[in-house]
Amino acid sequence: MRAVVVHAWARSAAGAVVHADGGVEWRNARPVAGEDDPAAVTAALALAGADGEVVGLTLGDADPSWSLARGAARAVRVTDAPIADDEGTTAAVIAAAVRSVADVDVVVVGDSEEHPGVAAAVGAALGWPVVTGIVSASPSGAGIEAVRPSGDVQETLLVPCPAVLGVVAEGAEARTPGMKEQLAARKRPVLTTTLAELGVPELAAPSTVQVRGTRLPDQATTRVFEGHADETARQLVAALRAEGVL
Amino acid sequence: MTVDTWLLAAAGAHLDGAVAAARTLGGRVTVVAVGPHALAEAAATAAPDEVRWVETPDGEPAEAWAAAVGAEVAAAAPRVVLSPADPASRALLAAAAVPLGAALVSRVLALRAEDDALVVDRVSLGGAVVETLAVSGPLAAVLDDRDGTTAAAPPAPVTAWTPAAAPAAVQVKREPAPGAAAGVRDAARVVSVGRGLRSKDDLAVVEPLLAALGAELGCSMPMADDLGWVPKERYVGRSGQHIAPRLYLALGISGMPQHMEGVRDAKVVAAVNSDPAAPIFRTADYGVVGDLYEVVPALVRALGAPPA
Repeated sequence: MRAVVVHAWARSAAGAVVHADGGVEWRNARPVAGEDDPAAVTAALALAGADGEVVGLTLGDADPSWSLARGAARAVRVTDAPIADDEGTTAAVIAAAVRSVADVDVVVVGDSEEHPGVAAAVGAALGWPVVTGIVSASPSGAGIEAVRPSGDVQETLLVPCPAVLGVVAEGAEARTPGMKEQLAARKRPVLTTTLAELGVPELAAPSTVQVRGTRLPDQATTRVFEGHADETARQLVAALRAEGVL
Repeated sequence: MTVDTWLLAAAGAHLDGAVAAARTLGGRVTVVAVGPHALAEAAATAAPDEVRWVETPDGEPAEAWAAAVGAEVAAAAPRVVLSPADPASRALLAAAAVPLGAALVSRVLALRAEDDALVVDRVSLGGAVVETLAVSGPLAAVLDDRDGTTAAAPPAPVTAWTPAAAPAAVQVKREPAPGAAAGVRDAARVVSVGRGLRSKDDLAVVEPLLAALGAELGCSMPMADDLGWVPKERYVGRSGQHIAPRLYLALGISGMPQHMEGVRDAKVVAAVNSDPAAPIFRTADYGVVGDLYEVVPALVRALGAPPA
Protein backbone atom coordinates (compact mmCIF):
# COMPACT_ATOMS: atom_id res chain seq x y z
CA MET A 1 0.00 0.00 0.00
CA ARG A 2 1.25 3.51 -0.79
CA ALA A 3 0.42 5.99 1.91
CA VAL A 4 0.91 9.74 1.76
CA VAL A 5 1.32 11.32 5.17
CA VAL A 6 0.64 15.04 5.28
CA HIS A 7 2.48 16.96 7.96
CA ALA A 8 3.48 20.46 8.97
CA TRP A 9 0.74 22.14 6.97
CA ALA A 10 -0.12 24.85 9.48
CA ARG A 11 1.58 27.28 11.79
CA SER A 12 1.91 26.39 15.43
CA ALA A 13 0.36 28.52 18.14
CA ALA A 14 3.75 28.27 19.84
CA GLY A 15 5.11 30.57 17.15
CA ALA A 16 2.71 33.37 18.03
CA VAL A 17 2.85 35.99 20.74
CA VAL A 18 -0.47 37.30 22.01
CA HIS A 19 -0.25 40.87 23.23
CA ALA A 20 -2.28 42.34 26.05
CA ASP A 21 -4.66 43.99 23.58
CA GLY A 22 -5.36 40.64 21.92
CA GLY A 23 -3.17 41.37 18.93
CA VAL A 24 -1.17 38.47 17.54
CA GLU A 25 2.43 38.69 16.41
CA TRP A 26 3.90 35.73 14.59
CA ARG A 27 7.52 35.22 15.65
CA ASN A 28 7.71 31.96 13.71
CA ALA A 29 5.22 31.55 10.90
CA ARG A 30 6.90 28.50 9.43
CA PRO A 31 4.60 25.48 9.25
CA VAL A 32 5.61 22.89 11.81
CA ALA A 33 4.42 19.40 12.69
CA GLY A 34 1.22 19.42 14.70
CA GLU A 35 0.56 17.35 17.80
CA ASP A 36 -1.37 14.77 15.77
CA ASP A 37 1.25 14.45 13.02
CA PRO A 38 3.34 11.77 14.78
CA ALA A 39 0.22 9.62 15.10
CA ALA A 40 -0.45 10.19 11.40
CA VAL A 41 3.03 8.91 10.53
CA THR A 42 2.55 5.87 12.76
CA ALA A 43 -0.73 5.07 11.02
CA ALA A 44 0.78 5.59 7.58
CA LEU A 45 3.66 3.23 8.36
CA ALA A 46 1.25 0.62 9.70
CA LEU A 47 -0.85 0.85 6.56
CA ALA A 48 2.07 0.76 4.13
CA GLY A 49 3.64 -2.24 5.78
CA ALA A 50 7.01 -3.65 4.87
CA ASP A 51 6.15 -3.95 1.18
CA GLY A 52 4.60 -0.53 0.81
CA GLU A 53 5.83 3.03 0.75
CA VAL A 54 5.17 6.12 2.82
CA VAL A 55 5.50 9.46 1.05
CA GLY A 56 5.74 12.60 3.15
CA LEU A 57 3.91 15.70 1.96
CA THR A 58 4.38 19.13 3.37
CA LEU A 59 3.71 22.76 2.50
CA GLY A 60 5.55 26.05 2.27
CA ASP A 61 8.92 26.22 3.96
CA ALA A 62 8.21 23.33 6.33
CA ASP A 63 10.93 20.74 6.86
CA PRO A 64 10.27 17.60 4.79
CA SER A 65 12.91 15.67 6.74
CA TRP A 66 10.46 15.49 9.65
CA SER A 67 8.59 12.60 8.02
CA LEU A 68 11.69 11.19 6.33
CA ALA A 69 13.34 10.75 9.73
CA ARG A 70 10.26 8.84 10.88
CA GLY A 71 10.19 6.33 8.08
CA ALA A 72 8.92 8.02 4.92
CA ALA A 73 10.86 6.89 1.86
CA ARG A 74 10.57 10.17 -0.01
CA ALA A 75 8.86 13.51 0.32
CA VAL A 76 7.04 16.16 -1.65
CA ARG A 77 7.01 19.84 -0.67
CA VAL A 78 4.78 22.44 -2.29
CA THR A 79 7.03 25.44 -1.94
CA ASP A 80 4.56 28.26 -2.63
CA ALA A 81 1.55 26.83 -0.81
CA PRO A 82 -0.16 29.68 1.03
CA ILE A 83 -0.68 29.52 4.78
CA ALA A 84 -4.42 29.88 4.42
CA ASP A 85 -7.12 31.01 6.83
CA ASP A 86 -9.42 29.03 4.58
CA GLU A 87 -8.99 25.33 5.39
CA GLY A 88 -10.58 24.53 2.06
CA THR A 89 -7.64 26.14 0.27
CA THR A 90 -5.16 24.19 2.38
CA ALA A 91 -7.04 21.00 1.57
CA ALA A 92 -7.15 21.83 -2.14
CA VAL A 93 -3.36 22.29 -2.22
CA ILE A 94 -2.87 18.99 -0.43
CA ALA A 95 -5.26 17.23 -2.78
CA ALA A 96 -3.47 18.62 -5.84
CA ALA A 97 -0.14 17.42 -4.48
CA VAL A 98 -1.58 13.97 -3.72
CA ARG A 99 -2.75 13.72 -7.33
CA SER A 100 0.84 14.29 -8.44
CA VAL A 101 1.93 11.13 -6.60
CA ALA A 102 1.10 8.00 -8.57
CA ASP A 103 -1.04 5.16 -7.25
CA VAL A 104 -1.82 6.49 -3.80
CA ASP A 105 -3.94 4.14 -1.71
CA VAL A 106 -4.41 6.27 1.38
CA VAL A 107 -3.75 9.81 2.58
CA VAL A 108 -3.20 10.23 6.31
CA VAL A 109 -3.60 13.65 7.87
CA GLY A 110 -3.28 14.66 11.52
CA ASP A 111 -6.84 15.50 12.56
CA SER A 112 -5.90 18.84 14.01
CA GLU A 113 -7.99 20.31 16.80
CA GLU A 114 -7.18 23.81 15.55
CA HIS A 115 -8.07 23.04 11.93
CA PRO A 116 -10.55 20.14 12.06
CA GLY A 117 -11.90 20.77 8.58
CA VAL A 118 -8.72 20.02 6.65
CA ALA A 119 -8.63 16.22 6.71
CA ALA A 120 -12.30 15.97 5.74
CA ALA A 121 -11.86 18.53 2.97
CA VAL A 122 -8.88 16.65 1.53
CA GLY A 123 -11.15 13.65 1.13
CA ALA A 124 -13.88 15.74 -0.43
CA ALA A 125 -11.45 17.43 -2.82
CA LEU A 126 -10.11 14.08 -3.95
CA GLY A 127 -13.56 12.52 -4.10
CA TRP A 128 -12.43 9.73 -1.80
CA PRO A 129 -14.12 8.38 1.32
CA VAL A 130 -12.85 10.09 4.44
CA VAL A 131 -13.05 9.16 8.10
CA THR A 132 -11.60 11.29 10.86
CA GLY A 133 -11.10 11.04 14.60
CA ILE A 134 -9.16 7.81 13.98
CA VAL A 135 -6.73 6.48 16.59
CA SER A 136 -5.34 3.45 14.73
CA ALA A 137 -5.53 1.86 11.31
CA SER A 138 -4.46 -1.32 9.57
CA PRO A 139 -4.87 -2.86 6.10
CA SER A 140 -7.92 -5.06 5.64
CA GLY A 141 -8.33 -6.84 2.34
CA ALA A 142 -8.56 -4.21 -0.36
CA GLY A 143 -9.30 -1.50 2.16
CA ILE A 144 -8.54 -0.16 5.59
CA GLU A 145 -9.79 -0.98 9.06
CA ALA A 146 -9.76 2.16 11.17
CA VAL A 147 -10.62 2.48 14.86
CA ARG A 148 -12.37 5.47 16.35
CA PRO A 149 -13.60 6.04 19.90
CA SER A 150 -17.06 7.54 20.03
CA GLY A 151 -18.44 8.05 23.52
CA ASP A 152 -19.22 4.70 25.11
CA VAL A 153 -18.62 2.97 21.80
CA GLN A 154 -15.58 1.96 19.81
CA GLU A 155 -16.22 2.16 16.09
CA THR A 156 -14.31 0.00 13.66
CA LEU A 157 -14.69 1.50 10.21
CA LEU A 158 -14.05 -0.46 7.03
CA VAL A 159 -13.09 1.95 4.29
CA PRO A 160 -12.33 1.08 0.66
CA CYS A 161 -9.16 2.45 -0.91
CA PRO A 162 -8.27 5.02 -1.99
CA ALA A 163 -9.29 6.87 1.15
CA VAL A 164 -8.35 9.68 3.49
CA LEU A 165 -7.88 9.22 7.23
CA GLY A 166 -7.78 11.95 9.85
CA VAL A 167 -5.77 10.60 12.78
CA VAL A 168 -5.88 11.83 16.36
CA ALA A 169 -2.95 11.35 18.74
CA GLU A 170 -3.70 9.39 21.89
CA GLY A 171 -0.49 10.51 23.51
CA ALA A 172 2.77 12.31 22.98
CA GLU A 173 5.22 10.91 20.44
CA ALA A 174 6.73 7.79 22.00
CA ARG A 175 10.17 8.21 20.52
CA THR A 176 11.70 11.02 18.51
CA PRO A 177 14.23 10.14 15.81
CA GLY A 178 17.86 9.99 16.81
CA MET A 179 20.81 11.57 15.02
CA LYS A 180 21.34 8.51 12.82
CA GLU A 181 17.78 8.66 11.53
CA GLN A 182 17.96 12.39 10.99
CA LEU A 183 21.14 12.06 8.97
CA ALA A 184 19.65 9.25 6.90
CA ALA A 185 16.58 11.41 6.27
CA ARG A 186 18.69 14.07 4.60
CA LYS A 187 19.82 11.56 1.99
CA ARG A 188 16.27 10.63 0.98
CA PRO A 189 14.71 12.29 -2.07
CA VAL A 190 12.60 15.42 -1.71
CA LEU A 191 10.62 16.63 -4.69
CA THR A 192 9.87 20.35 -4.56
CA THR A 193 6.97 21.54 -6.62
CA THR A 194 4.76 24.59 -7.07
CA LEU A 195 1.09 25.35 -7.39
CA ALA A 196 1.61 26.08 -11.09
CA GLU A 197 3.36 22.77 -11.63
CA LEU A 198 0.50 21.03 -9.86
CA GLY A 199 -1.96 22.75 -12.18
CA VAL A 200 -3.62 24.82 -9.48
CA PRO A 201 -2.12 28.33 -9.81
CA GLU A 202 -5.47 29.81 -8.80
CA LEU A 203 -4.90 28.62 -5.23
CA ALA A 204 -2.30 31.37 -4.86
CA ALA A 205 -4.98 34.02 -5.44
CA PRO A 206 -6.25 36.10 -2.51
CA SER A 207 -8.73 34.16 -0.44
CA THR A 208 -12.36 35.12 0.13
CA VAL A 209 -11.46 35.03 3.81
CA GLN A 210 -9.92 38.16 5.29
CA VAL A 211 -8.77 38.56 8.88
CA ARG A 212 -10.32 41.61 10.51
CA GLY A 213 -8.51 41.21 13.78
CA THR A 214 -8.13 39.28 16.98
CA ARG A 215 -9.14 39.92 20.56
CA LEU A 216 -8.75 38.20 23.87
CA PRO A 217 -11.56 35.78 24.68
CA ASP A 218 -14.30 36.93 26.94
CA GLN A 219 -13.20 36.34 30.49
CA ALA A 220 -14.81 33.30 31.99
CA THR A 221 -16.65 34.04 35.18
CA THR A 222 -14.21 31.98 37.15
CA ARG A 223 -14.40 32.58 40.88
CA VAL A 224 -10.85 32.22 42.09
CA PHE A 225 -10.04 31.74 45.75
CA GLU A 226 -6.59 32.65 47.02
CA GLY A 227 -5.12 32.53 50.48
CA HIS A 228 -4.63 29.93 53.20
CA ALA A 229 -5.48 26.38 52.12
CA ASP A 230 -8.12 25.83 54.81
CA GLU A 231 -9.88 29.06 53.98
CA THR A 232 -9.85 28.55 50.20
CA ALA A 233 -10.99 24.96 50.63
CA ARG A 234 -13.87 26.10 52.83
CA GLN A 235 -14.85 28.72 50.25
CA LEU A 236 -14.75 26.21 47.40
CA VAL A 237 -16.81 23.62 49.29
CA ALA A 238 -19.38 26.26 50.17
CA ALA A 239 -19.60 27.33 46.54
CA LEU A 240 -19.98 23.76 45.33
CA ARG A 241 -22.68 23.10 47.91
CA ALA A 242 -24.49 26.20 46.68
CA GLU A 243 -24.25 24.83 43.14
CA GLY A 244 -25.87 21.61 44.33
CA VAL A 245 -23.08 19.38 43.03
CA LEU A 246 -21.97 17.92 46.37
CA MET B 1 -29.19 40.79 4.61
CA THR B 2 -30.71 37.51 5.70
CA VAL B 3 -28.96 34.30 4.83
CA ASP B 4 -30.45 30.84 4.47
CA THR B 5 -28.41 28.19 6.23
CA TRP B 6 -28.05 24.45 5.97
CA LEU B 7 -26.85 22.54 9.00
CA LEU B 8 -25.40 19.09 8.32
CA ALA B 9 -25.42 16.82 11.33
CA ALA B 10 -24.53 13.21 12.04
CA ALA B 11 -24.62 13.48 15.83
CA GLY B 12 -27.21 14.88 18.18
CA ALA B 13 -25.07 16.76 20.68
CA HIS B 14 -25.09 20.56 20.68
CA LEU B 15 -27.66 20.88 17.89
CA ASP B 16 -29.61 23.47 19.86
CA GLY B 17 -26.52 25.66 19.94
CA ALA B 18 -25.88 25.03 16.25
CA VAL B 19 -29.41 25.98 15.23
CA ALA B 20 -29.18 29.07 17.43
CA ALA B 21 -25.97 30.06 15.62
CA ALA B 22 -27.70 29.60 12.27
CA ARG B 23 -30.68 31.66 13.43
CA THR B 24 -28.46 34.71 13.88
CA LEU B 25 -28.25 34.99 10.09
CA GLY B 26 -31.97 35.58 9.91
CA GLY B 27 -32.84 33.21 7.09
CA ARG B 28 -34.36 29.78 6.74
CA VAL B 29 -32.58 26.99 8.64
CA THR B 30 -32.60 23.52 7.14
CA VAL B 31 -31.06 20.61 9.02
CA VAL B 32 -29.91 17.54 7.17
CA ALA B 33 -29.72 14.77 9.77
CA VAL B 34 -27.80 11.69 8.61
CA GLY B 35 -28.27 8.81 11.02
CA PRO B 36 -30.98 7.08 13.04
CA HIS B 37 -34.46 8.56 13.44
CA ALA B 38 -33.60 9.61 16.98
CA LEU B 39 -31.07 12.02 15.49
CA ALA B 40 -33.72 13.58 13.27
CA GLU B 41 -36.02 13.93 16.28
CA ALA B 42 -33.24 15.60 18.28
CA ALA B 43 -32.65 17.98 15.40
CA ALA B 44 -36.35 18.77 15.18
CA THR B 45 -36.53 19.77 18.84
CA ALA B 46 -33.85 22.40 18.19
CA ALA B 47 -36.56 24.07 16.08
CA PRO B 48 -35.03 24.73 12.69
CA ASP B 49 -37.49 25.36 9.86
CA GLU B 50 -37.24 21.83 8.57
CA VAL B 51 -35.34 18.59 9.05
CA ARG B 52 -34.41 16.35 6.17
CA TRP B 53 -33.61 12.90 7.44
CA VAL B 54 -31.22 10.57 5.64
CA GLU B 55 -31.62 7.17 7.24
CA THR B 56 -28.49 5.08 7.76
CA PRO B 57 -29.01 1.36 8.30
CA ASP B 58 -27.05 -0.49 10.96
CA GLY B 59 -23.48 -0.92 9.85
CA GLU B 60 -23.43 2.16 7.65
CA PRO B 61 -21.79 5.30 9.08
CA ALA B 62 -22.91 8.78 8.09
CA GLU B 63 -19.63 9.20 6.21
CA ALA B 64 -20.89 6.71 3.62
CA TRP B 65 -23.42 9.37 2.58
CA ALA B 66 -21.03 12.33 2.62
CA ALA B 67 -20.51 12.72 -1.12
CA ALA B 68 -24.16 12.07 -1.97
CA VAL B 69 -25.48 14.50 0.63
CA GLY B 70 -22.82 17.08 -0.15
CA ALA B 71 -23.72 17.11 -3.83
CA GLU B 72 -27.42 17.61 -3.09
CA VAL B 73 -26.77 20.40 -0.63
CA ALA B 74 -24.38 22.13 -3.02
CA ALA B 75 -27.01 21.94 -5.75
CA ALA B 76 -29.25 24.11 -3.56
CA ALA B 77 -26.43 26.70 -3.60
CA PRO B 78 -26.75 27.92 -0.02
CA ARG B 79 -24.52 30.79 1.07
CA VAL B 80 -23.80 29.10 4.38
CA VAL B 81 -23.45 25.49 5.45
CA LEU B 82 -22.66 24.58 9.03
CA SER B 83 -21.84 21.47 11.00
CA PRO B 84 -21.10 20.41 14.55
CA ALA B 85 -17.51 19.34 15.19
CA ASP B 86 -17.93 15.57 15.43
CA PRO B 87 -16.01 13.60 12.78
CA ALA B 88 -18.94 12.40 10.68
CA SER B 89 -20.60 15.82 10.58
CA ARG B 90 -17.34 17.35 9.41
CA ALA B 91 -17.21 14.84 6.56
CA LEU B 92 -20.71 15.88 5.49
CA LEU B 93 -19.80 19.56 5.65
CA ALA B 94 -16.59 19.19 3.65
CA ALA B 95 -18.42 17.18 1.00
CA ALA B 96 -20.77 20.13 0.51
CA ALA B 97 -18.08 22.80 0.83
CA VAL B 98 -15.93 21.56 -2.03
CA PRO B 99 -18.58 21.56 -4.77
CA LEU B 100 -19.91 24.86 -3.41
CA GLY B 101 -16.46 26.41 -3.67
CA ALA B 102 -17.00 27.58 -0.12
CA ALA B 103 -14.35 28.84 2.23
CA LEU B 104 -13.99 26.39 5.10
CA VAL B 105 -13.50 27.82 8.59
CA SER B 106 -13.46 25.90 11.86
CA ARG B 107 -14.03 26.43 15.57
CA VAL B 108 -16.64 29.05 14.82
CA LEU B 109 -18.30 30.71 17.80
CA ALA B 110 -20.68 33.14 16.11
CA LEU B 111 -21.76 34.39 12.70
CA ARG B 112 -23.44 37.53 11.47
CA ALA B 113 -24.23 39.13 8.14
CA GLU B 114 -22.83 42.59 7.47
CA ASP B 115 -23.67 44.14 4.11
CA ASP B 116 -22.53 41.51 1.63
CA ALA B 117 -20.03 39.86 3.93
CA LEU B 118 -20.37 37.09 6.46
CA VAL B 119 -18.50 37.90 9.63
CA VAL B 120 -17.25 35.02 11.70
CA ASP B 121 -15.77 34.89 15.19
CA ARG B 122 -13.71 31.81 15.78
CA VAL B 123 -11.41 30.30 18.38
CA SER B 124 -7.77 30.62 17.37
CA LEU B 125 -4.36 29.77 18.80
CA GLY B 126 -5.78 27.07 21.01
CA GLY B 127 -8.22 29.45 22.63
CA ALA B 128 -5.74 32.23 23.34
CA VAL B 129 -7.63 34.63 21.07
CA VAL B 130 -10.88 35.05 19.20
CA GLU B 131 -10.26 35.84 15.55
CA THR B 132 -12.75 37.78 13.45
CA LEU B 133 -12.93 36.91 9.77
CA ALA B 134 -14.89 38.45 6.92
CA VAL B 135 -15.92 36.01 4.20
CA SER B 136 -17.01 37.39 0.86
CA GLY B 137 -18.24 34.18 -0.78
CA PRO B 138 -19.94 30.97 0.27
CA LEU B 139 -19.00 29.77 3.74
CA ALA B 140 -18.74 26.33 5.29
CA ALA B 141 -18.21 26.52 9.03
CA VAL B 142 -17.43 23.87 11.62
CA LEU B 143 -18.99 25.16 14.81
CA ASP B 144 -17.17 25.10 18.12
CA ASP B 145 -19.68 22.93 19.94
CA ARG B 146 -21.63 24.96 22.45
CA ASP B 147 -24.89 24.26 24.14
CA GLY B 148 -27.76 26.59 23.36
CA THR B 149 -30.93 27.13 25.28
CA THR B 150 -33.70 24.70 24.53
CA ALA B 151 -35.83 26.13 21.76
CA ALA B 152 -39.22 27.46 22.81
CA ALA B 153 -40.64 26.95 19.32
CA PRO B 154 -42.43 23.73 18.40
CA PRO B 155 -40.36 20.94 16.82
CA ALA B 156 -39.68 21.25 13.11
CA PRO B 157 -41.25 18.86 10.61
CA VAL B 158 -39.11 15.87 9.67
CA THR B 159 -39.19 14.48 6.16
CA ALA B 160 -37.30 11.44 4.91
CA TRP B 161 -34.78 12.35 2.23
CA THR B 162 -32.89 10.06 -0.09
CA PRO B 163 -30.06 11.65 -2.07
CA ALA B 164 -29.86 10.66 -5.73
CA ALA B 165 -26.37 9.21 -5.50
CA ALA B 166 -25.63 5.93 -3.77
CA PRO B 167 -23.65 5.80 -0.54
CA ALA B 168 -19.96 4.89 -0.55
CA ALA B 169 -19.01 1.42 0.59
CA VAL B 170 -17.92 2.47 4.08
CA GLN B 171 -19.03 0.23 6.91
CA VAL B 172 -18.90 0.42 10.65
CA LYS B 173 -18.97 -2.06 13.51
CA ARG B 174 -19.79 -0.69 16.92
CA GLU B 175 -18.92 -2.31 20.23
CA PRO B 176 -18.50 -1.12 23.79
CA ALA B 177 -15.30 0.85 24.12
CA PRO B 178 -12.50 -0.80 26.11
CA GLY B 179 -12.70 0.56 29.61
CA ALA B 180 -16.26 1.68 29.10
CA ALA B 181 -17.18 -0.01 32.33
CA ALA B 182 -14.73 2.16 34.24
CA GLY B 183 -16.56 4.49 36.53
CA VAL B 184 -15.11 7.73 35.20
CA ARG B 185 -17.45 7.79 32.22
CA ASP B 186 -20.72 7.86 34.09
CA ALA B 187 -19.60 9.27 37.43
CA ALA B 188 -21.46 12.20 38.93
CA ARG B 189 -18.19 13.54 40.31
CA VAL B 190 -14.70 13.15 38.88
CA VAL B 191 -11.43 14.30 40.39
CA SER B 192 -8.59 14.37 37.88
CA VAL B 193 -4.88 14.67 38.48
CA GLY B 194 -2.23 16.19 36.24
CA ARG B 195 1.43 16.98 36.23
CA GLY B 196 1.07 18.89 39.49
CA LEU B 197 1.23 15.48 41.17
CA ARG B 198 4.87 14.77 41.94
CA SER B 199 4.89 10.94 42.07
CA LYS B 200 2.69 7.94 41.54
CA ASP B 201 2.77 7.25 45.28
CA ASP B 202 1.18 10.67 45.80
CA LEU B 203 -2.06 9.35 44.34
CA ALA B 204 -2.60 8.34 47.96
CA VAL B 205 -2.95 12.04 48.76
CA VAL B 206 -6.00 12.19 46.50
CA GLU B 207 -7.72 9.04 47.71
CA PRO B 208 -9.33 10.59 50.81
CA LEU B 209 -10.78 13.32 48.61
CA LEU B 210 -12.20 10.73 46.20
CA ALA B 211 -13.81 9.00 49.17
CA ALA B 212 -15.16 12.22 50.64
CA LEU B 213 -16.71 13.28 47.35
CA GLY B 214 -17.79 9.83 46.20
CA ALA B 215 -15.81 10.64 43.06
CA GLU B 216 -13.99 8.63 40.43
CA LEU B 217 -10.35 9.28 39.55
CA GLY B 218 -9.54 10.78 36.16
CA CYS B 219 -6.35 12.24 34.74
CA SER B 220 -4.76 14.33 32.03
CA MET B 221 -2.99 12.69 29.11
CA PRO B 222 0.59 12.66 30.46
CA MET B 223 -0.49 10.81 33.59
CA ALA B 224 -1.87 7.93 31.53
CA ASP B 225 0.51 8.12 28.60
CA ASP B 226 4.02 9.35 29.38
CA LEU B 227 4.00 8.47 33.07
CA GLY B 228 1.53 5.58 33.16
CA TRP B 229 0.49 6.38 36.72
CA VAL B 230 -3.25 6.14 35.99
CA PRO B 231 -4.99 3.55 33.76
CA LYS B 232 -5.47 4.81 30.22
CA GLU B 233 -9.25 4.41 30.34
CA ARG B 234 -9.33 7.16 32.96
CA TYR B 235 -7.63 9.70 30.72
CA VAL B 236 -9.97 12.64 30.07
CA GLY B 237 -9.48 14.73 26.96
CA ARG B 238 -9.86 15.06 23.26
CA SER B 239 -8.66 11.56 22.37
CA GLY B 240 -9.72 10.08 25.71
CA GLN B 241 -12.88 10.13 27.74
CA HIS B 242 -15.48 12.80 27.06
CA ILE B 243 -17.45 13.03 30.27
CA ALA B 244 -20.34 15.03 31.68
CA PRO B 245 -20.16 14.82 35.48
CA ARG B 246 -21.99 17.22 37.74
CA LEU B 247 -18.63 18.15 39.27
CA TYR B 248 -15.22 17.98 37.66
CA LEU B 249 -12.34 18.88 39.95
CA ALA B 250 -8.95 19.23 38.27
CA LEU B 251 -5.88 18.96 40.51
CA GLY B 252 -2.59 20.20 39.13
CA ILE B 253 -3.90 20.34 35.58
CA SER B 254 -2.98 23.39 33.52
CA GLY B 255 -6.14 23.26 31.42
CA MET B 256 -4.88 22.98 27.87
CA PRO B 257 -7.69 22.88 25.28
CA GLN B 258 -6.90 19.26 24.50
CA HIS B 259 -7.84 18.32 28.06
CA MET B 260 -10.75 20.70 28.53
CA GLU B 261 -12.50 19.34 25.45
CA GLY B 262 -13.14 16.17 27.43
CA VAL B 263 -15.10 18.02 30.15
CA ARG B 264 -16.96 20.50 28.02
CA ASP B 265 -20.25 19.00 29.14
CA ALA B 266 -19.48 18.99 32.88
CA LYS B 267 -21.97 20.97 34.93
CA VAL B 268 -19.37 22.58 37.21
CA VAL B 269 -15.61 22.63 36.69
CA ALA B 270 -13.32 23.49 39.60
CA ALA B 271 -9.55 23.57 39.62
CA VAL B 272 -6.70 23.61 42.08
CA ASN B 273 -3.39 24.85 40.70
CA SER B 274 -0.39 26.58 42.16
CA ASP B 275 0.06 28.74 39.06
CA PRO B 276 -2.37 31.69 39.09
CA ALA B 277 -1.74 32.12 35.34
CA ALA B 278 -2.75 28.54 34.50
CA PRO B 279 -5.17 28.51 31.55
CA ILE B 280 -7.66 26.47 33.55
CA PHE B 281 -8.41 29.57 35.62
CA ARG B 282 -9.79 31.15 32.44
CA THR B 283 -12.27 28.36 31.77
CA ALA B 284 -13.22 26.75 35.08
CA ASP B 285 -16.19 27.87 37.14
CA TYR B 286 -14.19 27.87 40.37
CA GLY B 287 -10.50 27.91 41.08
CA VAL B 288 -8.23 27.64 44.07
CA VAL B 289 -4.72 29.00 43.71
CA GLY B 290 -2.58 26.82 45.92
CA ASP B 291 -0.44 23.75 46.37
CA LEU B 292 -2.62 20.70 45.85
CA TYR B 293 -0.68 18.94 48.62
CA GLU B 294 -2.07 21.52 51.03
CA VAL B 295 -5.44 22.19 49.43
CA VAL B 296 -6.54 18.57 48.98
CA PRO B 297 -6.31 17.66 52.70
CA ALA B 298 -8.00 20.98 53.47
CA LEU B 299 -10.82 20.09 51.07
CA VAL B 300 -11.27 16.75 52.84
CA ARG B 301 -11.53 18.58 56.16
CA ALA B 302 -13.97 21.12 54.73
CA LEU B 303 -16.14 18.40 53.23
CA GLY B 304 -16.29 16.71 56.62
CA ALA B 305 -17.40 19.86 58.32
CA PRO B 306 -21.10 20.68 58.50
CA PRO B 307 -22.31 23.33 56.02
CA ALA B 308 -21.97 26.85 57.34
